[in-house]
Amino acid sequence: MRKNKKNKRSTASMSAQRVLVGGLPQEEEEVLQSPLQMVISSFVRDKIAMTGVILFVFIFLCCVILPFFFPIDLYYQDVTQANVAPGFGMLKVPAQLKNNAQDISVGSSFSVGLDKDGNVYEWGTFPTEKLKNIPSSSETGKLVQVSAGLDHVVAVNEDGQIFTWGNDRMGLATVPMELRTGGNDIKQILAGYQISLALTGDGQMYNWGSDYLLNITYPEGVQGNIDKFAASTNIVMVLTKDGEVVPLTGKASAYTNVPEEIQGDVVDLALTDEAAAAVTSDGRVHTWGNNIKKGLDVPEDIQGQVVSVTGGRYHFTAVLKDGTVRSWGDNTHGQANAPEGVTVSSVDSGYYANYAITEDGSVVAWGLKGYLMGTDALGRDLFRRILVGGRMTMTVGAIAVIISTVIGIAVGGISGYKGGKVDNLLMRLTEIVSSIPFLPFCIILSSILGNSISETQRIILIMCILGLLSWPGIARLVRGSVLAEREQEFVTAAKALGVREFGIIFRHIVPNIITVIIVNATLNFATCMLTESSLSFIGFGVTEPNATWGNMLTGAQNGQVIENYWWRWAFPALMLGICTISINCIGDGLRDAIDPKSKER
Amino acid sequence: MGKSRYLLKRLIYIIFVFFIISILMFAIYKSMPGNPVDIMLGDSKTTMKPEAYQALYEQTVKSLGLDKPLPVQYFAWISNMLTGNFGYSTQYKQEVINVIGAPMANTVMLNILTMFVVFLISIPLGILTAVRKNSVFDKSVQVLTIVGYSIPTFIIALLAIFLLAVKFPIFPISGVSTAGSTTTGLAAMLDKLHHMALPVLVMSVSGIGGITRYVRAAMIDVLRMDYIKTARAKGLSEKVVIYVHAFRNALIPVVTVTTWWVVGLFGGSIVIESVFLWPGLGKMLIDALLQRDFAVVLTMQMFYVVLSLAGNVIMDIAYTMVDPRVRLDS
Repeated sequence: MRKNKKNKRSTASMSAQRVLVGGLPQEEEEVLQSPLQMVISSFVRDKIAMTGVILFVFIFLCCVILPFFFPIDLYYQDVTQANVAPGFGMLKVPAQLKNNAQDISVGSSFSVGLDKDGNVYEWGTFPTEKLKNIPSSSETGKLVQVSAGLDHVVAVNEDGQIFTWGNDRMGLATVPMELRTGGNDIKQILAGYQISLALTGDGQMYNWGSDYLLNITYPEGVQGNIDKFAASTNIVMVLTKDGEVVPLTGKASAYTNVPEEIQGDVVDLALTDEAAAAVTSDGRVHTWGNNIKKGLDVPEDIQGQVVSVTGGRYHFTAVLKDGTVRSWGDNTHGQANAPEGVTVSSVDSGYYANYAITEDGSVVAWGLKGYLMGTDALGRDLFRRILVGGRMTMTVGAIAVIISTVIGIAVGGISGYKGGKVDNLLMRLTEIVSSIPFLPFCIILSSILGNSISETQRIILIMCILGLLSWPGIARLVRGSVLAEREQEFVTAAKALGVREFGIIFRHIVPNIITVIIVNATLNFATCMLTESSLSFIGFGVTEPNATWGNMLTGAQNGQVIENYWWRWAFPALMLGICTISINCIGDGLRDAIDPKSKER
Repeated sequence: MGKSRYLLKRLIYIIFVFFIISILMFAIYKSMPGNPVDIMLGDSKTTMKPEAYQALYEQTVKSLGLDKPLPVQYFAWISNMLTGNFGYSTQYKQEVINVIGAPMANTVMLNILTMFVVFLISIPLGILTAVRKNSVFDKSVQVLTIVGYSIPTFIIALLAIFLLAVKFPIFPISGVSTAGSTTTGLAAMLDKLHHMALPVLVMSVSGIGGITRYVRAAMIDVLRMDYIKTARAKGLSEKVVIYVHAFRNALIPVVTVTTWWVVGLFGGSIVIESVFLWPGLGKMLIDALLQRDFAVVLTMQMFYVVLSLAGNVIMDIAYTMVDPRVRLDS
């Protein structure tokens, strides 16, 4: 208090004013302010509280506004992007490679490149440390082709010898003997999802690793006649030397539905996880499969000019006759924003990124750069989930507080004003509700009522449970204040004017105690957010796929996650911590501002 | 005289509250999914002939008293509950009363130790900060306590695990004793304490935050009173003034808060128990809910209700003990 007065004295306008009014004593100057002004000015001067306000408003605005710029599909999952560490280094092509690139391949969250001298470069976020064990050049000789998969790399040298590093489980390390010894003419290699594929010049295809997902079966007459192949996590397809597309599967699906009219005329083939695209000799692209991520919507103006096509996870990139590139399909990470005005010699697309090597050997990259806060175990972007999670946590907290405040004001107001039997009854009710063990009761209610209702209803249920159980505090407070206010003259005046009782309580008394209510509601908001988070954390609040800060931490309950994937718990915990601390600071600041006596504590 | 009458009045009132809440619990019990008769008969529906099953079914309904009107059922249920007949746990294939002993001991141990730690630290800390109001020490404690009680316990738990169990593996991450340990006596006791350290530490942090602030606020209020000035004027030593004259009066508001805190502590330990896989009542409640073992769920709920009401009674008794004015209240 005293410090504040000093501040005041030092401001020029104030001293000028004091001269004008003839040097009034300090105390009377304070009296000139209305109570509300005093509360506000005293609150604004409270540094801790103002920091709290700024932090909270910042987080609140982020959670409200940013989801419009970073939309999220709550049901989206992608195992290939699981547990990616935060960072934006995925497209950072090493400088040595930039003007000297031979081959670049996109892996799940990392990329691997080869310069013209056969040196290997790796960049991005590595899903396994084993990826860094690149075989030395004395061992490999000059490498000419390289391919990155989910968590392993396959490379081939001048002699047609195949090398692999990275994940070595599921038989990924057991390269077929004849490919290991060299002397083959290797035409194409591909590191896929826990599988590796290789194609020789005489049309023979090899695969090793786990074919659990792909289930490769070679139709008769295909082996020995293969010109090219493409693979996604669902299927492998080959292009025969006769220009026919053959899916290597026994099961019929949207992919196997190859348009009849293009068979025999196909020059290039690419796959995404939901669609296939084939280029025919007339330069047209034909697509088939599912169109959930718009992979089938080939831009009309490129038809007739396409030379080759490559596929990522949900997008295609095509190279046109004049050497320019065009991309289409899913554009969540900007992977369909192909650069304009570059003439490329080759393009590699994979997962969510593309690299184009231009004619002069420099590299152009577009697509997923990385994740600001990393990803969780299901490959979901944590930053986006934290934004919507924050919105959810705050919405649940806010609505619960509104419910509890309304009930609290009603019960407290009526009880305090009426007194007597009504007061007694309502106060007993208040005591009963406050005797209910809060957290256990919430858990049981949400588990029993919550299992037969939809996700949205469940969220509403959580809000109601929190609201219905946390009003006693505010009711007691309002009752106390009403008891003090009801003997004031303005109430007597209102009575004399014939204002109805409800009018007196809610239009004359409650506005007078609104400051007390606001303080309590603020602190209650922090408590409700905490309770909701705790409930969601142990799995009885808002459940997946909906995000809240509480349930984002659920997966981080074991030592392994805590140690290896720090970003999965640190960011949601930080946000929740900052929010509750700043709300509590705001509440404390408000209380001090309203009741200057409490500040002396 | 007045004191005991007041207590008696409160006691009668609390029993009344207990019955109201128990009716609420009975409503929950009735609304639980799953037919209790089906659960009790188990798989005999598939092994018995339909007519025989039907007869058995009706017999069971009768024996469980489910054919009687709801009020009668309620009284049967509540008298069962009060006599320790909590029903049959489908998860443990035993009477509930036989399985809750060990978890209850674990939870009570955890909470008592936490309480001990919290009081041991927060009361002296609160007094000290009140006496040295506005000093640097006081200011820094103020900031720390705000942080302590604002951050949810499970975040503190994650941090503690990260620091003290993963980065510097001083304490075990979870469990109640070292797996496969066959030690007995003192060694087993020490092992248990070692496992308890982390949960107790985590639960203490938020407790210390809250209680310290309350003790401080109450002490500051009291230290402004005239009788403190009188005591000082009499020439009493500062120690006597603070610990004898001031602290006893500061206890009155503190008692209220601590009682609610203790009740909340048991509820809050549900989260901690699930993080640290501590086999206590909270974990048992969650497991029972996940396994749909409702007899256990209801028993747990009953325990928490009784605990909360006991907290009320203790608060009343404590009030009358620390504040001689309370007896005039009735």
